[in-house]
Amino acid sequence: MKIQYLAVVFVIIMLPISLVFSVYVEGQVETLDMQISYDTKLDNSTYDAIKAFQLNTVNSSTSDLTNSKIRDIEAAANSFFNSIATNFNMVGYNSDNLRAYVPALVFTMYDGFYIYSPFENTLDEETQNRLPQDGSVTYAGGEEVTGLKPYIYYSCRYVRGQMDVTITYSLDNYITIQGYDKNGNPINDAGYLIDNISYNSSTGAITYRGIQITEEPQLTEYIGNNLYPYVKINGVKYYKDSSGNWFTLMNGSFNYGQGTFRDENNDMAYRYYLEALDFKKRLKDYGVEELTSENAVGVSDITDANGDVVYSFTDGDYQIFDFDNDIEESDSNFNNHRLAVIRYVIESNLSVALSNYNDYGTGSYNFRMPKLSEEDWDRILNNVSLISFLQGLSIGGKIYNGYSVINNNKNEEVVTEDSIYIIEDVNSDSSEYHRVTHNGLESMVNNNSRGVFNIDFERKSIGSTATETTYYYYPHRQLGCYTCYVAQTDSETPSNIYEYLDGMTDKTLAKLYYTALGRERYSMYKVFRNPEEHVNQFR
Amino acid sequence: MGDSLITIVAIVLAAILMFIFPLMSMSDRTDDISQLTVKTATTEFVDNVRTTGRLSLDDYSAFEQQIAATGNSYEIEMEVKVLDENPGKKTTQASSTKIGENVYYSMYTSQILDTISPTDGTKKVLALKEGDMFSTSVKNTNTTLSQQLKNFFYTVAGNDTYTIAAEHGGYVTANGSGN
Repeated sequence: MKIQYLAVVFVIIMLPISLVFSVYVEGQVETLDMQISYDTKLDNSTYDAIKAFQLNTVNSSTSDLTNSKIRDIEAAANSFFNSIATNFNMVGYNSDNLRAYVPALVFTMYDGFYIYSPFENTLDEETQNRLPQDGSVTYAGGEEVTGLKPYIYYSCRYVRGQMDVTITYSLDNYITIQGYDKNGNPINDAGYLIDNISYNSSTGAITYRGIQITEEPQLTEYIGNNLYPYVKINGVKYYKDSSGNWFTLMNGSFNYGQGTFRDENNDMAYRYYLEALDFKKRLKDYGVEELTSENAVGVSDITDANGDVVYSFTDGDYQIFDFDNDIEESDSNFNNHRLAVIRYVIESNLSVALSNYNDYGTGSYNFRMPKLSEEDWDRILNNVSLISFLQGLSIGGKIYNGYSVINNNKNEEVVTEDSIYIIEDVNSDSSEYHRVTHNGLESMVNNNSRGVFNIDFERKSIGSTATETTYYYYPHRQLGCYTCYVAQTDSETPSNIYEYLDGMTDKTLAKLYYTALGRERYSMYKVFRNPEEHVNQFR
Repeated sequence: MGDSLITIVAIVLAAILMFIFPLMSMSDRTDDISQLTVKTATTEFVDNVRTTGRLSLDDYSAFEQQIAATGNSYEIEMEVKVLDENPGKKTTQASSTKIGENVYYSMYTSQILDTISPTDGTKKVLALKEGDMFSTSVKNTNTTLSQQLKNFFYTVAGNDTYTIAAEHGGYVTANGSGN
C-alpha cells in the first residue's frame, strides 16, 4: 500500500480517538471549572450572610439578647438564600430550588451554636387549638419547616468521684459550671479563667501580669455630632446627656427613663480581674480544678480529614484547669481542651443534622457531612462564624458537595484578643488608632491613650423621626493608622499577644490593652447574671 | 520526475498527518490540562487569602510550585486593593447622610512580595482586613509546544500571546492580623 493510503487510514483511526479524547477532557475541565465557580459563589453568599449579621448586631443595642439574636440570625439566613439565588441565577437556579440543596447553615456563637435546617413541626392538637383560629396562623403539625433549631451549648460533662458537673465553654476563657461539687453540693457558677492575678487586701490593688489595673477615666463617644459620657453595663450602653439624664439608644432613637448611674471613673476592668480571682478560688473549693481530660464523659477522640487522631481525650491524661501555667494563653491545657470540646460538639451535632436531612430532601442524593480541613476548624473555633453547606447539585461529571466557612470578628458576641485597638489620644479627634501590634506603639502611648473595642469604630446610624432621615456617625472619630490598620505593613504578627506585651520594658501599652480587654469583656452581656441586680451595682 | 515529486509531497503530507497532527492534538490537550491546573490553583490560592486574610511567602511559594509543575513558566500578578475608611470618616462628619465614601488604594506584586519576604530570617505575613480586595492573574510566559506548532503553520501575531491564563479575585472576608 502506498504511504499516502497508510496516512489516510491512520487519520481515519486517529481522528475519532482524538475527538472523543478531547470531548472527554473538555467535560472534565468543565466539571472542575464549575466546581471552582460554585465554591466561590458559596463563599460569597456565606460572606453576605455573615455581613448581614454583623451590620444588624453592630447597629442594635439589644443584639445580644436571645430573641433579638435569633431575629438577626434568621435575617442572615435570608440574606444567604437571597445572595445564593442571585449568584446562581445565571445558571438557572432560583432561591426555592436552591433551598433543597442546602442541608444546613451553622452559626457558631459565643458559647454555643445554631443550626438552620428543615425540621418537622411537632405541633400537637391542643397547642394548635390555642392558636388564633382566624386563619392568620397557618402552621400545622407534621409539616416541614425550615428554621433555627434550639441553641446547642459547647458543653461537656465530667464525672470524678462525687463530682458531676457540666461545663459550658465559650470562644474566650469564660466558662459556666453546673452540677455537683466534690462533696456532692450543688453548684451553679460562671466566670473568666485567668492566671497571674494578685490582690493586695490592705490597699485593694489588683495586679495582672505585674501591671496594676486601676480605674480609667469615664468613657465618651459620639452620637451624631455630640460627645456623650457613657457606661456599658451587661451589653447596653447608658449615655448621659448635658442635663444629667441617662438614656440608651433604641432603634436609632434616644430612650430616656433609665434612672441614674454613678457618674465616675470606669472600673469595669478592675472588677473583671477581681471577679476572675474570686472565681479561681471558688473553682478550687469545688474541686473542679482537679478535673482531668479523662473525666470527660460522652466524648471521643477527634480525627482529621485523613483519619489521624488530632486530639485525644483519654491519651495523656492531664489537668484541664492548670492554673499555674498561664491558662489564658492559647497553648494552655485548658485552651486545647476547650477547643477540642467545642469541635466535638459541633461535629457530632452537625453530622446528625446533615444525615437527617435525607429524610427531608426530595432527591436521591445521600447528604452527608464533608470532612472539614484543619485550617477551617481553626477558624471556626476562634471566632463567630457561619458554616454553609451546599450539596447535591449536578456539575456535569459529578455531584457537587461543598462547604464554606466564613468568620467574623466585628460583632457584639465576643471580645477576642484581636478586637482591641488603641487610640493615641482620646481627647483629639485628629488622633489615630492602632492595632496593639503596631511597631513601636509602646513609645507612642501615654496617659491620654485608651483601648477601644473594634466595633466602636464602625459606622452607626440614628434616625430622626421629624425629618425621616437617617444620620450616619462614627462613635470615635479618630482615623485608622495607615501602617497598622489600613494596610498592615508595619505591624508585628506575634503568635502570643501576652508574651509579646510581657517582653516590653515600658508597660503603658500593656496596661492600656489589659484594661480595655477586661473592661470590654466585663461589659458584655452574660446570660448567667441577674440583669437587674447587675445593673443596680452601678447606680 | 513528476512521480518522485508527488512521492515527496505525499511523504511530507503523510508526515504531517501521522506525526504533526497527533502531536498538535496531544499538546493542545496538555495545554488544556495545564490551564485547568493553573485555574484551580489560582482560585484556591486567592480564596485561601480571602477567607483567612493572610498571605505568607509559604503560601505564595506553594502556589508558584503548583503551577510550575505544569512545565511552563508563568508571570504572576497580584493586587491588593486596600480599603481606606478614613476619607469616608471625614465626609461623614461634614454631611452625615452620605454613605459609601470609602477609598481603595492598591498594592501590586512587587510591593506585596517586598512585604512578605523574610528579613533577618524572620517570616513575615501580609495581613489584610475585612473589606480589602485581593486578586491574582497568571499568564504563561514561555511558548508551549502547542503554541510552537501553531506558530509553525499559522503565525499568531503579537508579543503578548499566551494560551494559559487564569485570574480570580474578590473581597477579603476575614481580619488576618489574629494574634
